[in-house]
Amino acid sequence: MEEILRKKAKELLESGEVKVVIGYGWNRQRTKTTPVFITDAAEADRLVWNPLCVNNLSVYLTRKFKDIQALGKPAIVAKGCDIKNIVVLITEAQFKRDDVYIIGMTCEGTVYRQELWKGELKPEIMPTKCHNCDVRNPHLADFVVGEKSSFTPPETPTGMVFDKIKAIDAKDQAGKWAFWINEFSRCIKCYACRQVCSLCYCERCITEKNMPQWIETSAHPRGNLSWNLTRAMHLVGRCTFCGECERACPVNIPLNLVNQKMIQVVKDAFDFRSGYDEKTHPPMIVFSPDDKDNFIK
Amino acid sequence: MADRILKKEDLGRLIASVNAKGGQFIAPALDARQVVFKPVTKAEEVVTDYIVARNSYKELVFPQTEVVADFTIGKHGVDLKGRDVAPQETIVFGARPCEAVSLSSLRAIFTWDYIDEFYTKREDALVVITVACTKADDVCFCTTVELSPETKTGSDIYLKETESGDYIVEAVTDKGRAFIEKHASAFSEGSAKAKALFIPEKIGTIDLKKISARLKDKSHYDDQVWGRLTRKCIGCGACTFVCPTCHCFDITDEGTAFAGERRKNWDACQFDTFTLHASGHNPRHYQYQRWRNRFMCKFNYYPEKFASKGCVGCGRCIRVCPVRLDITEVMEEFSK
Repeated sequence: MEEILRKKAKELLESGEVKVVIGYGWNRQRTKTTPVFITDAAEADRLVWNPLCVNNLSVYLTRKFKDIQALGKPAIVAKGCDIKNIVVLITEAQFKRDDVYIIGMTCEGTVYRQELWKGELKPEIMPTKCHNCDVRNPHLADFVVGEKSSFTPPETPTGMVFDKIKAIDAKDQAGKWAFWINEFSRCIKCYACRQVCSLCYCERCITEKNMPQWIETSAHPRGNLSWNLTRAMHLVGRCTFCGECERACPVNIPLNLVNQKMIQVVKDAFDFRSGYDEKTHPPMIVFSPDDKDNFIK
Repeated sequence: MADRILKKEDLGRLIASVNAKGGQFIAPALDARQVVFKPVTKAEEVVTDYIVARNSYKELVFPQTEVVADFTIGKHGVDLKGRDVAPQETIVFGARPCEAVSLSSLRAIFTWDYIDEFYTKREDALVVITVACTKADDVCFCTTVELSPETKTGSDIYLKETESGDYIVEAVTDKGRAFIEKHASAFSEGSAKAKALFIPEKIGTIDLKKISARLKDKSHYDDQVWGRLTRKCIGCGACTFVCPTCHCFDITDEGTAFAGERRKNWDACQFDTFTLHASGHNPRHYQYQRWRNRFMCKFNYYPEKFASKGCVGCGRCIRVCPVRLDITEVMEEFSK
C-alpha cells in the first residue's frame, strides 16, 4: 500500500494537480508516526502507512492553518473515519469538494494510542470506533489505496465506550454529576481537545472571548465544567466520533463518552449521522418547515 | 562509613511523620491510569516503577490557577485587596534529577525584576526528594542537555534505589539536612548496594553550542526551516503545561460586575491569543512562529538571560504531543 501511496503522491505533485500532500511519516526513531507535509515529489518516499497512523489529518484542512492553506491545493491521506470529518467540513461550507484531493486508505483498524503498539494490531489495542467501523472502505475519495476490506461491523455497536455509556446512563442524576465532576477535575485547560479537532475550526473560540469572559479560563471545577460542556454542545450533530480529542487529552478525560452519547441523542432525535453524505446539511444548521417538533415553528 | 538508608517499609512512617507535622507529602501515584504527582497519605499509594510523572511538580510552586487578589466595585471606585500566600510545608518525593534542576530556572524568572512571592514563598516551603533514574524511555534526553541521573542540582535530598527496594539517602542542601533531622525516626543507618543508574545515550547529532550560536544570529527568523519542521503543531498548550520550566501566566478577573477574584492562570505561548494585540494584529500570525518562540525561549532567551537551563530534557513535551512534534528533531536541525 505504501508504494502505491507514494507513487500517487509523486504523480500528483509532479503534475502540479496538488501543491502539498498531507500524510504520515516516521519520527526520528521510526517508532511513531507523525504528520508530514510533502511539497516536493522527491520527498514522497517519506510517506508511510501502518496501524500507527492514528491522527485525523483533516484538521490541517481547516482555516486554523493559514500557512498550510497558503501552500496551495492539498491532497490528504485519509482513513474512512477521517473522511467523515472532511465530509462535515464540506457540508459546513469550509471548502468545496474540489478544493481537496482525497487519497482514501482502506483500513483494518489503528491503535488507540501509539504507545500501545507492540508490533501487532490486536483487537484489545484498537479503539471502539475501529470495532464498529463501517467505512473501512473509504466512502468519499478521489483515489483509493488498498484492497477492499470485507469487514462488516456488528449489528449493534459494541465496545468499551458503549458499555461505559450504559453504565453512566444507569446512574441517577447525582451519580452522573459526581462522575463527570471527577473526570473534568483533571482538566488542565490546554485545549488540546479543541486544537486537534477538525470541527473546532473557529478562529476565535468562545473561551477566548473575554469582553465579557463567557467561560472562565481558570482550571477550577466551574471553569472546567463550563469549558467541557460548551465544547460538547458545539459538536452536537457534527462530531463523527473520530476520537482525536480523547487521544490528545494529556489527562485521560474520557471525551469519547461525551461524544458518542451526543451521537446517540442526535440519531434518536433526527435520524442523522454526521460524516456520511457531503450533500446533506447537519440538523443543527438547517430549518425545515416540515419539522416534526412544534416548538420551533 | 555507614550510609543513611530509607527503608521501603519506613516510607509510610516518613509520610505519617510529615503529615503529623502539618506538611503535605506529594509522590508519584496512579490517577486515571497515569502516574502523577499528587498528595499521598499511605506508602501503598506511592508508585516506584515509572519513568517520570505525567505532570511536572512545578504546579506545587506555581499553581495552575490561584487567586492573587479580591476586588469589589463600589460607587467610589474599585477596592482591590491582595492575597497573602502562606504555604504549607510540601515534600515532593520521587522527583527525577532532570526536573529538580528546573526549580532554579523558575526561580530565576520569578525573581528576575520583580520578586513574585507567590512563587518564592512556596518554593521556600518545598523540599525536593529526588530518586535517581534506573530506567528511561526513548524520549528521555537529559544527557543531551548536559544533565544526567547523577545531577544533584535542585535536589534537597538525593536518593538512589537499592537492589532490595530501599533508598540510599544523601542530603544535598541544608534544607534537606534539616528535613532528615526533623523526621529522623524514618531513617536508619546501614550499608546497601545501589542499583545501577540508567544514563540515556546522548543524541550525537545534537550540539547545544551550535544551537545557541545559530539562534543568536537572528537571520534564521524567517527561515523556511521553522515551517518545515513545526508546521504540524496544532497550537494546544499540552507541551508547555507539562513542561517543568515553562512559566507563562495570564491575569484574569472572575466574578460579577460588583465583586470577584483576580486570578493568575497558566498561559501558553502556543495559543494564538497569546500575542494577539488589541488592534487585531498578531506578530506571531502562524503556528510555526509560536513554536519558534518556544524553542527560542528555551535555547536562546533563557541561556542569554540566566545561568539556569531552559530545557532539562525530561521529554514530557514529546510524550504528550498529539502530533508527536519532537523537540530533539528541531535541536538536531539547528545543530547542523
